[in-house]
Amino acid sequence: MITKLTPARPGRWAATVATIALLAGLAPGFAAAQDAHRGGTLRLVSVSSQGTLDPHVNYTSQFWQLYAFLYDGLVGFKKVGGPESKEVVADLAAALPEVSNDGKTYTFTLRKGVKFSNGKEMTTDDVVASFQRIFKVLGPTAGTFYNGIVGADQCLAAPADCTLAGGIVADKAAGTVTINLVAPDPEFLFKLSAPHASILPAETTAKDNGNAPIPGTGAYMVKSYDPNNSMVIVRNPAFSEWSKDAQPEGHVDEIDYTFGGTEEAAVNAILNGQADWMFDQPPADRLAELSTAAPDQIHLAPLSAWWYAPMNVNLAPFNDVRVRQALNYAIDRDALVSLFGGPALAQPVCQVLPPEFPGHVDQCQYTLDPGDSWSAPDMDKAMQLVEESGTKGEKVTIVTEDNAASRGIGTYLQSVLSDLGYEAAVQTISGDIQFTYIQNTNNKVQLSISQWYADYPAASNFLNVLFGCDSFHPGSDASINIAGFCDKGIDDRMKAAIALGATDPAAADAEWAKIDGAVMEAAPALPLFTPKQVDLLSTRVGNYAFSNQYHWLIANAWVQ
Amino acid sequence: MTTDQPETGSMPPADAAGGALPPPAGPWRRALQGLASSRTAVLSGLGLVLIVLATVLAPVYAKHVAQTDPFRSGLSAKIMIDGKRSPVMERSTEGLGLGVTPIGPTWGPKYFLGADTQGRDVAARLLYGGQNSLVIAGAATLLCLVCAAVIGIVAGYAGGRVDTVLSNLIDMIWAFPVYLLAISLSIVMLGKTFEIGPIHISSSSLVVPIIIIGLVYVPYVARPVRGRVIAITNSDFVLAARGLGIRPSRILWRHILPNVATTLIVFAPMLMALNIVTESSLSFLSVGVQAPNASWGTILQDGQALLYSRPVVSMAPGIAIMVTVMLLNLFGDVLRDILDPKSVRGR
Amino acid sequence: MLAVILSRLARMVVVMVGISVITFLIFFATPGADPAARIAGRNAAPETVTAVRHDFGLDRPIWVQYGVMMRKMFVTGDLTSFVNRGQKIVPTLTAAAPVTLSLVAGAAVLWMALGAATGIIAAAFKDRLPDKILMGVSMMAVAMPVFWVGEMVNLVTQSRLHDTWAFSWVPPLGYVPLSESPARWFLALIFPWITLSFLYIGLYGRMLRTGIIETYQEDYIRTARAKGLTARRVLLKHATRAAIIPVVIMFGMDFGVLVGGAAVLTEVVFGLNGVGRLTYQALKVLDLPMIMAAVLYASFFVVLANAVVDLLCILIDPRLRRK
Repeated sequence: MITKLTPARPGRWAATVATIALLAGLAPGFAAAQDAHRGGTLRLVSVSSQGTLDPHVNYTSQFWQLYAFLYDGLVGFKKVGGPESKEVVADLAAALPEVSNDGKTYTFTLRKGVKFSNGKEMTTDDVVASFQRIFKVLGPTAGTFYNGIVGADQCLAAPADCTLAGGIVADKAAGTVTINLVAPDPEFLFKLSAPHASILPAETTAKDNGNAPIPGTGAYMVKSYDPNNSMVIVRNPAFSEWSKDAQPEGHVDEIDYTFGGTEEAAVNAILNGQADWMFDQPPADRLAELSTAAPDQIHLAPLSAWWYAPMNVNLAPFNDVRVRQALNYAIDRDALVSLFGGPALAQPVCQVLPPEFPGHVDQCQYTLDPGDSWSAPDMDKAMQLVEESGTKGEKVTIVTEDNAASRGIGTYLQSVLSDLGYEAAVQTISGDIQFTYIQNTNNKVQLSISQWYADYPAASNFLNVLFGCDSFHPGSDASINIAGFCDKGIDDRMKAAIALGATDPAAADAEWAKIDGAVMEAAPALPLFTPKQVDLLSTRVGNYAFSNQYHWLIANAWVQ
Repeated sequence: MTTDQPETGSMPPADAAGGALPPPAGPWRRALQGLASSRTAVLSGLGLVLIVLATVLAPVYAKHVAQTDPFRSGLSAKIMIDGKRSPVMERSTEGLGLGVTPIGPTWGPKYFLGADTQGRDVAARLLYGGQNSLVIAGAATLLCLVCAAVIGIVAGYAGGRVDTVLSNLIDMIWAFPVYLLAISLSIVMLGKTFEIGPIHISSSSLVVPIIIIGLVYVPYVARPVRGRVIAITNSDFVLAARGLGIRPSRILWRHILPNVATTLIVFAPMLMALNIVTESSLSFLSVGVQAPNASWGTILQDGQALLYSRPVVSMAPGIAIMVTVMLLNLFGDVLRDILDPKSVRGR
Repeated sequence: MLAVILSRLARMVVVMVGISVITFLIFFATPGADPAARIAGRNAAPETVTAVRHDFGLDRPIWVQYGVMMRKMFVTGDLTSFVNRGQKIVPTLTAAAPVTLSLVAGAAVLWMALGAATGIIAAAFKDRLPDKILMGVSMMAVAMPVFWVGEMVNLVTQSRLHDTWAFSWVPPLGYVPLSESPARWFLALIFPWITLSFLYIGLYGRMLRTGIIETYQEDYIRTARAKGLTARRVLLKHATRAAIIPVVIMFGMDFGVLVGGAAVLTEVVFGLNGVGRLTYQALKVLDLPMIMAAVLYASFFVVLANAVVDLLCILIDPRLRRK
């Protein structure tokens, strides 16, 4: 189990800071040793681009992966592969902040001499303006990540006049920035590590900047971006490495990202040496071929994510807990794994928190022999529960996305529901519309298929976000608690666990494990499986590293 | 100048269709007689009947031959091959062990053409799918031809303002984003039933896709029809007939309609093919045939996800479409030759 | 002549206004089409969604939104996407247009040439072996879905046989601007052209064959033959000329609609980022401004192509002129 890093444990902080110092000292030596790999162009492909380039607005894993080496926050996730990638290190701040005032005040001392790609030096003004800008551009997480900052309420109500007075206090002479929170938040450093808290030049317009690149402090900068064609990324001329962990100097000189075509075509291009990596997952029917023909080019990595099927607890027949449990007993999770490409690509789960995630303890209630892990469906139990509920014969519509995996799962669930005696149908909606459609209670969606990827490694990012009363907004397209599950008792326990995390993370994690069990007892969703990331690289790419936060660390790789 | 008597080109067309053939039958009755005496027509007609019969007997095949329910996911199903029980969904064991491949064609009673991504029998689904495809594409083709004929004839014959309005309508339909309508409908009808008077339309009803598909290609047929009608109306003999005070309905029935019919018959098999494929993209958006039900188009779509590992899944419906369309085409060619007033003497 | 052009222009405006209004109404009648939550991002606070809705003017009456959108598209030209924010619609469309135009124009040349050859040869050998083979192949072409053909072409040229002598010359998928390198432009488009034109060769070949056989029976052809003109001359000069009318009409419709974005499957399969792919992507995410621009663009070409075709038909066959 990875213990997550929290500000309440100064011992660990000190150790990390020391490690950084040590690494910083060694940095020149490393650089010299790796010079041989410097240079070259990396060619990435993707079926489509992902909209605006503005790091305060974009909320897609595809572009967050790029922001890792384009922008920096005060702090950031460590840019290394493996479990350490969940650690937060100082980035534009010289060291991790001093926390005072019972965890409500964070004081950062800025690094000196860091420059934006336009040559301007970064100062406290930029930091203050960037935090105001999160609200001014109506950032997606403004009201969910950064609403705990003093003054955030006014900023959410009147974004244009946002000042965050009293929330962000800068001392330009001393080069420090102090952030005051309304209440202690053990996850605040994670939230600051997200690209939405990137520090941008103070003069950046307070509007979504769209496709025009904003100067950043990262190792690279965007030279040109045409969402219908390509993106060209080059080295940031003003960059000099200050911390290998926070923002390493990259190996390649240029990154060309092309958009268009199909996944099949992307696989062919990589196998033919015409491209180096594809963002999209290789199509399922190429996997068997790839795993024998090009095993060295494939990298598998577990994701902090889950595929699940939220059941609307406020609509029949799923307003009866027995029906929700019955379906959980009835589904063959091994069959679902088959749909996603087999056991090497997905792991069956019957709980909310993914494996290796803070708070995760192996548990499975819905299996033939309840215990640590899933073994086989229990159809008898399921039939019995359905019988007891007296809901047999009711109509159920499953709403899926229009991709192969989601449709496949929907078709399979339809089959299971029919076996249980329901009159089930599958309906497909174009992917991006489906996600907001299933959230709105007005649309009366009974059962749908969805996914959730963690923003940062904290149990609350799954449990509290997906099943907390605060994220249920009836009648709104933005109501991420799709199941509409709001249990006062569980909600209180989650709030308590978040607060406990500030003082005793280990105890909090233990409590999260229990909450995980309690939520599954009420069964507001069908956990399906934990997916794995497949990265298909060309033969010339070396030094692959996978970070839980940013996925493949592009800047860490080399091509010669 | 479209008459049977070349030596007297401007002769009134009263007996134009009669010509030298013994019974002075109308063009329509002649068609029936001709069909019965043509070997190609009989054979291709027989082929079409066989295809329809095969799809109708799909339940028998599924129950007694394949012994499977082609609408139920069979992801953990097993099958006996060479005395060994093997899974229908084969998990890759070599290399990194990624990927799950459905079983390929066994050429035996079970999984004759292999399984699809849900482990279901493709052959059984193909037969069931034929029912839906033939009904939807057939009805849509008929609808399209009728609409196109009416619009084309009215626009071409009436001319003037009527023509302008109809031509605008045709252009509008042709440039219309059908996909947007389909997306919208798929969401509007999600899990609901519509009641327009006594008619109930549920989201799984085939009426909606038939209407949409039927209208998509109306402009494509209506414009050539209109052109043809204008050419005929402006030809000497029709002008003469009008001058002689012959009723417009008679001109329409004896001259314009047979001519238009030949155009429609050429289009019919091609429309059938285009419609089956159009149906697949609508089904993909849940307008029309809904999972787990099948049509040739949806099997084609499913098969697209197996193009590299099990190409037979997408080839089978493709071949089924092709054979059907070719038979229709052979049949149509004979029909057109017979119906075409000009070709009587040409052969 | 001026009157004809003016009335055609008026018709174009009518069609374009009609289609844009219908598109607009369909969009707003669709539940879940409201882009505010999608723009705001996943897990956004309700305040943020409301602010975004206001910021994009989505809380205004629908006719006001229509007016604003038309003004931004045609007058100020600064209409931006709902999804790719900051992406100006009009320049994006003009940037994608040459790709589609290259694809469709090349394919059109191919399908007109091969379609004509197919139709004429089949008609000349009516009911004999060449006719049967050609008609069989053309039916196959009609029955095979474009995406299937495209994927198969890629399977062979980019994957299975890519390293053999036969297809090692095939460049990676994607578009190369004509201005950058005419040779590479040509090479990159060879297979897309073949794939796109396949269906139309079949369609047009059949149409032309039928037309020729029919006109063969017409009096003036008989007269021509009676005058002693050679069969080949009659076939090429007279019969084909009259039979080409429906083909020309179909060409106008197909060309217009393909340039307007109907070649989407070919574009996607071969990685050509043209108007079709742009429209398709906009439709998938219900990006109204982009859909609107694409629909208007397409209807412009459809009406234009039909107008040109009507004129052409009268030139070919004066009978088509209204009396």
